[in-house]
Amino acid sequence: MRPILRLYPSAWRRRYGDELSDLLDEMPSTPATTLDLLRGAVTQHMRALIDRVAPRLVSAGGPPMPTHPLQRHPTAVALLAALIAAPTVIFVVVSFLAYQLELPGMQAWLQPFMDGLQQAPRIVDLFLLTAPFIAFVLAALPLIGLRLERVDGELRITLALRAHTLNVLVLGICVIVGGFLASHLIVEFLFERP
Amino acid sequence: MADRSPSSDPGLLLLISLSGGPKHGHAMLLDVANFAGVRLGPGTLYGALTRLEEDGLVEALPLEGRRRPYRLTDAGLGALRGRLTGLNAAVSIGLERVASR
Repeated sequence: MRPILRLYPSAWRRRYGDELSDLLDEMPSTPATTLDLLRGAVTQHMRALIDRVAPRLVSAGGPPMPTHPLQRHPTAVALLAALIAAPTVIFVVVSFLAYQLELPGMQAWLQPFMDGLQQAPRIVDLFLLTAPFIAFVLAALPLIGLRLERVDGELRITLALRAHTLNVLVLGICVIVGGFLASHLIVEFLFERP
Repeated sequence: MADRSPSSDPGLLLLISLSGGPKHGHAMLLDVANFAGVRLGPGTLYGALTRLEEDGLVEALPLEGRRRPYRLTDAGLGALRGRLTGLNAAVSIGLERVASR
């Protein structure tokens, strides 16, 4: 059974190899013992791999650790997301006032912009449509924490969510504006296409 | 259902074994087989010992000939006490409920 010991990680062998070898001298060699040693070798390799690959993600407990720069600057990320979503938000709010609530004079005021938008490159349309979704993802990233920890020898992956007021506010606005845009597009596609 | 009884937890069995005094690997195997009826394999034994030592619950003593004994640390004794107290409470409640049926 000694050759099986060579399957263990070298660092582990240096610490426990002689002891385990000595123990094996006192035990009968059986298929169960061989399987147990093989399983032990795989386990130690996995532990060594986790120790090598995820040292920054493994924490000893407490609140979720920041795992990327976006989590360390949630306010800046929220402001950036708000900036990205702002043109769409303004467009949707003004359109709502003009065409849904039909405020006096709004449609006439808005018409030149709508005409310009129709003649603008498609990329402008595309940006206005996708901006709320991009902003949503951006604002949500700092609120999501992924933590890896070892508890009683088992690897535990924890998904942690935190509430940062400004980010949650931007998320809410993005959901409302994105939902409004989506419903508008669906209604237009289903009922208003020639 | 996964077996999460004490007899399926090599770490707990080793802590119980070492609570009776320092032992080397083979003595631990014999002791666990004696009090729990569980035959731990050598890979399982040293896998559990590795974790317990890393967690500071057991510590290695100087070699005695070719054998290295291990002993429970204060943290290990506290952890063992906590685990056994929790198990004892669960066993007591379980026995009461079984008796009342």
